[in-house]
Amino acid sequence: MQERLSFYKKRESAVHRLNPLSKLTLALGIVFVSFLSPYYWTPHLLILFAVIPLSLLGKVLREYINAMLRLILPTAGFLFIMQALFQPLEGVELFRFGFLHPTQESVLFAFANATRIVVMVSSFTIFLLTTHPNELMTDLTRRGLPGQFAYVIISTLQIIPQMQAKAQTIIAAQRSRGLDTESTFFKRAGSLIPLVGPLVFGSLVEVEERAIAIEARGFTSTRVKTSLNSIPDTNKDKLIRWSLIVIIIVTLASRIWLS
Amino acid sequence: MKIEIRDLEFSYPAGIQALRGITLTIGSGEQVAIVGQNGAGKTTLVRHFNGLLQPTSGEIQIGGWDTRKYSVAKLASRIGYVFQNPDEQLFSRDVKTEVAFGPKNLGYPNEQVEILVHEALEMTELSDKTEMNPYDLSPTWRKMVAIASIISMDTPIVIFDEPTTGQDAANIARIANVIKVLRERGKTLITITHDIDFCAENFERVIAMSQGKILLDGKANEVLGQEDRLATTYVDPPQLTRLATRLELNDTIIREDMFLTELHKKLTRTL
Amino acid sequence: MAIVNLQNVTYRYPLTDESVLKNINLQVDEGEFLAVIGPNGSGKSTLCYTLAGFVPHFFKGEISGSVEVAGLESSASTLDEWVMNVGLAFQNPFNQISGAKFTVFEEIAFGLENIGVPREEMKPRVEDAMKLTGITDLADRSPYSLSGGQQQRVALTSILVMQPKVLVLDEPTSQLDPIGTREVFGVIRTLAEKGMTVILAEHKVEWIANFADRVIALHEGQIILDGLPGEVLTSDILLEKGFGISRYTSVARKARAIGLWKNSNLPVTLDEAVDGFKR
Repeated sequence: MQERLSFYKKRESAVHRLNPLSKLTLALGIVFVSFLSPYYWTPHLLILFAVIPLSLLGKVLREYINAMLRLILPTAGFLFIMQALFQPLEGVELFRFGFLHPTQESVLFAFANATRIVVMVSSFTIFLLTTHPNELMTDLTRRGLPGQFAYVIISTLQIIPQMQAKAQTIIAAQRSRGLDTESTFFKRAGSLIPLVGPLVFGSLVEVEERAIAIEARGFTSTRVKTSLNSIPDTNKDKLIRWSLIVIIIVTLASRIWLS
Repeated sequence: MKIEIRDLEFSYPAGIQALRGITLTIGSGEQVAIVGQNGAGKTTLVRHFNGLLQPTSGEIQIGGWDTRKYSVAKLASRIGYVFQNPDEQLFSRDVKTEVAFGPKNLGYPNEQVEILVHEALEMTELSDKTEMNPYDLSPTWRKMVAIASIISMDTPIVIFDEPTTGQDAANIARIANVIKVLRERGKTLITITHDIDFCAENFERVIAMSQGKILLDGKANEVLGQEDRLATTYVDPPQLTRLATRLELNDTIIREDMFLTELHKKLTRTL
Repeated sequence: MAIVNLQNVTYRYPLTDESVLKNINLQVDEGEFLAVIGPNGSGKSTLCYTLAGFVPHFFKGEISGSVEVAGLESSASTLDEWVMNVGLAFQNPFNQISGAKFTVFEEIAFGLENIGVPREEMKPRVEDAMKLTGITDLADRSPYSLSGGQQQRVALTSILVMQPKVLVLDEPTSQLDPIGTREVFGVIRTLAEKGMTVILAEHKVEWIANFADRVIALHEGQIILDGLPGEVLTSDILLEKGFGISRYTSVARKARAIGLWKNSNLPVTLDEAVDGFKR
């Protein structure tokens, strides 16, 4: 139950020690470059020379490989097959089966896209594995993100597992009243209101109480907020962020000039 | 209707063993209160009765039905279950529709549903609130709607999970009255409760649970008098029992009439 | 000296016709421990919200009369100022967890962050508050992994850390099991003994009788009784109006009718009952 929606793994590493904004910039930078670069081999290089080294440096290689095998590769593989088969581009036809006629171009295009997806999801996986959501939000709030916005993000992360538990209880309560949730599709569709109704109404009551509770602790106080944990932001961090911005601009420029 | 439980064990998927071998028979028309600290397995046990949970090993028979062979929806015709929080149960626009939901699911003919709803509303003192939206009622009355919506199913067995939590004296009296009427109708009643005075005043038999096992099981006054053993599952004896013990009255006393009789006896003896 | 002063307070929630508080007059002295009893719907929660500034600042609605708590005057101040001076905790422990924090320590510091307490002051304040409520060993746990009683103590600590002058508690044990109830009452008792002004709405009469300095009884938005626990909690009026009373009071009243209780006063607590019956 504890922190189910947070992927964060507490470790001592150079990546963990980076400022959350630097890590976010790094993750976004990798994604931008892989999508914007005019060269089809860029995503491959990024996996080899950015994503994997980062996961090693952040001591989360095992978790990353796990996510790769269970989530990232199956998803990317599925996208590859769908695009290759169903989005035929003009070009050399590889084979024809019914209405399917994939071309060499469509396969290459799908492969490039799939690797970009792999890079994107990988980059964010490593970001989430090494960044505590609370640190990220504290840091962003300090930089001017509205406190309410940060609160919504963080509390959602925590409240969703609680909502799931509540939904389970509601289902149990209604089944105990003879509601058939197991048989035919129509019966299941008809059982939606008894299940969703209490979830919504109950949440409305809770939202008011929660609002009072956080208000009682000065949530909307007009004073300048402080934070319990100091989040380091070193010159190294600034250097990393500026370098990334330069790299993104260069990639963007090369894309415009070369196409 | 009789409930028979044999060698029941249950572990949650995460591996926590919640029930460690329970064998128990609850006779037709009995009123049983289950007490014990949170985590003792009370709710886990009763959720097996209507099939919400399936035993890891052992078996439960509800009037001869093996709970492993019947769906929850089917078992609902034999067991009504009032959940602790009414807000996790109510969804209808008005009280009457809410209370009719259960009996309709059970497939009673319309005229029968009308009668059952009417009776349930009367028993819970909701007759003047039938057209109201449950969410416009106070939490106290919402609790009564939740109770009515189970009673209306007219099941031979009714389970109450923490019926008095958060309720005031007037509503506890109302709930006690519902239990009394149901008892007169010969229903089997099972209540999970922390409210030990309520338990003493309304139930004939008390089962104390601790760490997934039955610690004590017997007549209310026999069980509730065992202060030391109850303390191991964080249950205090009822107020009157504690008073009677301090006054060294005979027998284990759990109700006012018993207390006054024993007090009278003691005083006349000493005179 | 009175730290709470309510004069002729009448209040109505928005979009409703009936006043929930009717002409309330209440003074509470600094350091006093006041218990509020009353059936559900009698106005206990609304009174708590009024003392904590949420009525009318959060709920809006129509208020008349004057409300002064901890030197603040309701009509001339903001909720922001109130929460700095008056703490509020209520029934459901789960809904009082902010959801913004991942550990108990951070959860308790949440209020201090909001009101801009400097970081170096924060840690000792959180540690002191946790020591006071006995939850130091929970510091690194997730607030959501705790039992109800532990969560309620975290909620109390989160309020105490803001160093309120008055603490308002609305049935803090009503959703808890006996162990949780014992834990939370233990904390309240410690606070009262340390001189905190506490206003507690509560159904558990025996406990109030043992520890409160004074009790008021609310019925349909009005204070119908105000006095020492022994007087208020044994009053015949409570029986007439459907209040919950202690079993000791109830059985002694019946014993008195048949001549088995000789004292002029009825008991509320076990000790009083034992003494009285032994005569």
